[in-house]
Amino acid sequence: MPKNPAKTYEDILEDKTGYDYFRNKLKLKDIEAKNSFSKKYPHIEKFMKKKGISLEKIREHSAKILGAGALTGTLLLAPPSGLNTLPKPLELFNNLKNPGKFLTELPQKTLIDLLAQFLPERTRPLSQNEEKVLEQMFEEVMGIKTRTNLEGEHLNTTYGLIGAEQHLKRYPGDGVENHGEGSVLKEGIAPGLGAWGYFAASKEKLTPSLEETEKWYAVVQTLYLEDWNSRQPYLRNWYKYRKVLIVNTNNGNAVVASVADSGPAMWTGKNFGGSPEVMEYLGGSRYKKGPVLVFFVDDPENKVSLGPVDYNKINLPLVSLEKG
Amino acid sequence: MSRIFYDRLIVLEDFGREVKKKTSSKEEEFEIWELVDNILSHKVMDIVLEKLPLKHHNEFIEKFLEAPFDETLFDYLKEKIEDNIEEVIKQEIGTLAYELLEDIKGSRDE
Repeated sequence: MPKNPAKTYEDILEDKTGYDYFRNKLKLKDIEAKNSFSKKYPHIEKFMKKKGISLEKIREHSAKILGAGALTGTLLLAPPSGLNTLPKPLELFNNLKNPGKFLTELPQKTLIDLLAQFLPERTRPLSQNEEKVLEQMFEEVMGIKTRTNLEGEHLNTTYGLIGAEQHLKRYPGDGVENHGEGSVLKEGIAPGLGAWGYFAASKEKLTPSLEETEKWYAVVQTLYLEDWNSRQPYLRNWYKYRKVLIVNTNNGNAVVASVADSGPAMWTGKNFGGSPEVMEYLGGSRYKKGPVLVFFVDDPENKVSLGPVDYNKINLPLVSLEKG
Repeated sequence: MSRIFYDRLIVLEDFGREVKKKTSSKEEEFEIWELVDNILSHKVMDIVLEKLPLKHHNEFIEKFLEAPFDETLFDYLKEKIEDNIEEVIKQEIGTLAYELLEDIKGSRDE
């Protein structure tokens, strides 16, 4: 019997193997969703067409508007409803400079209290003003110079949810058994490579520094940057192993990590990812997801080490461990 | 920043994990992300427009195109729609997430 020309897609679906099968199935779902939308809402289609925007490009369109707003300094982000009014950044930071209030507390406790007062209940992109205050907080409390805007680059968001990632293959033939011991092996190793491929061409070429890079790696949403595609290969090189400070806003635990992968997808409900070691330090061996701040580390001389920031042991002028 | 006002309601974590298992390169992973993103944007707008009275469609789309990231669009929708639109979106997307998960789990590894 001759095949129905309208059902030739069935040929594609006959081969039920992994990626190709699933991608084709998704493509069909995508076409069905578009067709159904056009049929149900022709007036909307017409309206959007007139404006030169389609639903497929809506994320790009959103990024363009937000990007333009950031450049001109226009406040485009109305505070989402249901959020408490934020304290004035200057007022809050002045509190930090009041040693009488903070000398009796551990720096980490100080930071947790300040973050609880300062941050909105729900994660969202922060304003420039909010980010500036946090940069100062981190420098004063932890002694780490951070920037949300470094050399003109800015992440798509600096306050979001981080999720647990797997280990990354560092060289051809690498396996999870080579990535330490104990609970950090539970997550396993990603079947594919990170966005920057292998860390070294072979096991012999894996330096201690590259080993640390994978151990303390972070994932950021580079592909959602407005200019990611138009500014290649510059941005790809700029972000490769870029140091970031990740702060768990619930407990103040902080890690300096290096960007070694791109993701996660927006629809996972997360904005960042952390290696098993990063996640364990931020929240313990069962920590899978939580709110964090992610800022670039301003470290042109490469003096800041990757790994945990144990700032309770440091003695900084504003937040001393010694009682006044 | 690339945000859409309904992003916080969409959480397809299990599916995301399966996509990682099924793809062998970042290119493959990104292709799936984009397809899913397209399906979701049509699905969510379909849910919203179905619940929103026709007379408000154009006004809503105008607001949406002006600031697709603006979560206060929900305030507008809550005024015009009787049902709890956030809950409806969560439920419908939950069903879609289940379907997607079944699809990806049903595809054999090569």
